[in-house]
Amino acid sequence: MKLSKNFTNPLAANNPVIVQILGICSALAVTVKLEPAFVMGLSVTFVCAFSNLFMSLLRKGVPSRIRIIVQLVVIATLVIVVDQFLRAYMYDVSKQLSVYVGLIITNCIVMGRVEAFALGNKPWDSFVDGVANGLGYAFILVLVAFFRELFGSGTLFGFDVLARFGYVNNSLMLFPPMALIIIGCIIWVHRSINKDLQEK
Amino acid sequence: MAINKNSNTYIIIYTVVMVVIVGSLLAFLATSLKPQQDANVLNEQKVSIMKAFGEADANFDDMVKIGLVTEGEFTEVAKDDKAGVQAVFDLLGNRKALSEATAELPIFVLEKDGATKYVLPIVGKGLWGDIWGYVSLQQAEDNVVITGIVMDHAGETPGLGAEIATERVQKMFEGKALYNEANEFAVRMQKGGAQNEHQVDAITGGTKTCDGVNAMLAISVGKYEAFLRGAEATAEADTEECACSEEECSEECCGECADECADECCSEEAIVEPVNVEEE
Repeated sequence: MKLSKNFTNPLAANNPVIVQILGICSALAVTVKLEPAFVMGLSVTFVCAFSNLFMSLLRKGVPSRIRIIVQLVVIATLVIVVDQFLRAYMYDVSKQLSVYVGLIITNCIVMGRVEAFALGNKPWDSFVDGVANGLGYAFILVLVAFFRELFGSGTLFGFDVLARFGYVNNSLMLFPPMALIIIGCIIWVHRSINKDLQEK
Repeated sequence: MAINKNSNTYIIIYTVVMVVIVGSLLAFLATSLKPQQDANVLNEQKVSIMKAFGEADANFDDMVKIGLVTEGEFTEVAKDDKAGVQAVFDLLGNRKALSEATAELPIFVLEKDGATKYVLPIVGKGLWGDIWGYVSLQQAEDNVVITGIVMDHAGETPGLGAEIATERVQKMFEGKALYNEANEFAVRMQKGGAQNEHQVDAITGGTKTCDGVNAMLAISVGKYEAFLRGAEATAEADTEECACSEEECSEECCGECADECADECCSEEAIVEPVNVEEE
């Protein structure tokens, strides 16, 4: 029961991007096309899940005075692993994501979950929490990228969709501010459904 | 005996062990993935070169000759000279070294349907960072014509300077002759729209990037000028018909084109003294 709640919470009611407003910067940068957004979402999920797992395993041995440094080392290691694998096996995507893979290290979601959850919970719970938060992030990224690619380039995953109906691409959608506006709209819809999130 | 986890000794041992483990893990990973990553970079370079040639689907290794140009002289790098080929691609990957190189400049040659095209690497600076690419050139009459260009950038402004990486902008360069009547390098992206046949329209809002493209083309292609001019001259000599016909065989004419038509008309018997028309 607790585990499933752990899993579903970050996907909707406590989504890291649209409720906690974390990880916005990369959400603006890599959502021009679906493919990089998708890969970025998976990368963050991987990093988040395993940094949670490892930090939870280490939680009893970590000296509390240097725990932030230890967290950073673990997260940075995982990010480099992801980066190296992308460069070897998904070269095109890794070029599109460019510095943003490296910047997963500074993604507040990852460190936030390690500090807030993994240090006080068992490994399996922490792992699930990491996966769920990563997926919550990935879901928003893919949603934003869906609208931006569809209306900005007229394609989805690179396949022509709107172009064949004579749609003229709106290049405004390709600029980062539109990602912010779309996220704003998602937050608006989300809060109108979940009334308890509205601030009085 | 309980360990004091906040003692200095514990912290130092903890960090040292952690760093050693993480360091060796990453070193192992980086080394084992390196060949695959290098292959990706190499493949990308080859694909870009083929794109510049306008043969995006063709196989680089089957069709293209690799060469080096030093002071206008072309030397081919043999395909089985692994180290030599690797050195060329290493140089392509190192933009700083490439922009500083003055000798042994890489060049790629594609011969197809009797036409010879050359691809040169170009490197320069845009507004925010490096810009680079490949330009494909072909001899035409007494000039050198761009047959294709691919450009990429590190971080130009999307929608403005970054447009140089789009097909729309790159298409505009096709068919532009490099040198104007005064024999100066004349291809450039002109602010306010192309003014003559050598220029292409600059990108509105991307003036600084276009300036960078202009400098990149002038400097990078300029390094090959001696070679391009040399190739130009050879192309001319090959195509130009011998000026002598049998009727007008003369010492003067034979001196100019002795090699080509010596057999036909410049044998000693065939030379006729010019008739003196001022005999009256």
